[in-house]
Amino acid sequence: MNVLEMKNIHKSFGSLEVLKGIDLNVAKGEVVGIIGPSGGGKSTLLRCATTLEQIDKGTITIAGDTLASTGEDGVTRYADKKSLQEIRGKFGLVFQNFNLFPHFSVRRNITESLIHVHKKSKDEADAICDSLLKKLGMLEKANAYPCNLSGGQQQRVSIARALAVNPDILFFDEPTSALDPELTSGILKVIRELAEEHMTMVIVTHEMAFARDVADKLVFMDGGVIVEQGRDIISNPQMERTKEFLAGY
Amino acid sequence: MGDLQSTLTQLSSGLRFTLGIFFLTLIFSIPLGLLVARGRMSKVRIIAGLVRIYISVMRGTPLMLQLLLVYFGPYYIFGVKLADLDIGPFKYRFVATIIGFSLNYAAYFAEIFRGGIQSMPVGQYEAAQILGFTKMQTYFRIILPQVVKRVLPSVTNEVITLVKDTSLAQVLAVTEMFTMAKNLASAQVSVVPFIVAGVFYYVMNGIIEIIMNRAEKSMNYYS
Repeated sequence: MNVLEMKNIHKSFGSLEVLKGIDLNVAKGEVVGIIGPSGGGKSTLLRCATTLEQIDKGTITIAGDTLASTGEDGVTRYADKKSLQEIRGKFGLVFQNFNLFPHFSVRRNITESLIHVHKKSKDEADAICDSLLKKLGMLEKANAYPCNLSGGQQQRVSIARALAVNPDILFFDEPTSALDPELTSGILKVIRELAEEHMTMVIVTHEMAFARDVADKLVFMDGGVIVEQGRDIISNPQMERTKEFLAGY
Repeated sequence: MGDLQSTLTQLSSGLRFTLGIFFLTLIFSIPLGLLVARGRMSKVRIIAGLVRIYISVMRGTPLMLQLLLVYFGPYYIFGVKLADLDIGPFKYRFVATIIGFSLNYAAYFAEIFRGGIQSMPVGQYEAAQILGFTKMQTYFRIILPQVVKRVLPSVTNEVITLVKDTSLAQVLAVTEMFTMAKNLASAQVSVVPFIVAGVFYYVMNGIIEIIMNRAEKSMNYYS
């Protein structure tokens, strides 16, 4: 079963076409790594999958629910407000810049949506929060504020926040690009552990060695298209453009 | 000494009006300012345009003139006699003062709030959207509390100015503290009432500074 299905995705910003017909399927438990040069459309694809950008054309299905699709009349329709809220509970997104809420404690960053969106009791939310923080080695920071945490710790909290709703799929948008190498390895370790637990994940990253190790499938994007995809495109690229890009690493 | 005693008593009675104008203006102009800020940022161009003109006029003309217009306007323009009307316990001159002050201060507050709201990083909205918060929840739980922290120093400025601006109500013959001081000064042929009034204003603003500093400190737990 595919948790994420994206078919023939087109997206333009003004006259600039950023996605030129992308097809991407992610099976349950699969880890997909998206690599490629900046401006190639990786982040835009992720933002389209997570409702942060609207597609111009194509179909997106998440955990069986249609998020958006282009009808035969050529008009692209999104799910109604209520279904959208429901679909948003089925995925999580980890940002490059964490985007934690600075005025909330670590605990409240994680529990706020559980309580006010998913209508869980405070006790339930706290229990979920505690078990996630424990798992991520952050339990003693539950009452700290984001400004008092290192970048790596902030990213752990944002991973915990994304995991709190028990999502079917987790998206990562360059989760380590704002971190120094030491902190990066800590976050990569967390993602690796999630992969071992068969969390379905789509990871946009510039960490080639990590992508090669952790991903079941790699996708190389450039110029708004998928140039090449497969298990071994980093160790054994077929296309000229992929080779050229990887030569830089 | 008898003079000083009666000066204090009379200024205190004027202080009621001064405080009344001050608090009522804040109560009305801050929520109105939030609304105006929203309007100013509206995607509907006609709303944004009208609000822009409103802010421009409110900031670009004297408050004293605006007060006179609110008071005399209904009669001179529309022939509606409000001047003798009592609204609840208040005379229309006092009500007109509150309307004029609120409309004027809402324009200034709106621009401060707009600056604060627009300084919020887009990532905060995106994170909230992904987590499923509604627009209202995002605004009241995520954005507004952070905006308050950002705009507090500018708001303090306005609040302090408001204390002093209450003296403009004298043009509508509201017997606030400054009007009283003026009358006393000419009756006593002395500047003492002015000095006492000055001390009153200064003490009020001193209290405001202390309160606002505390408020700022209470939000220092995050940055």
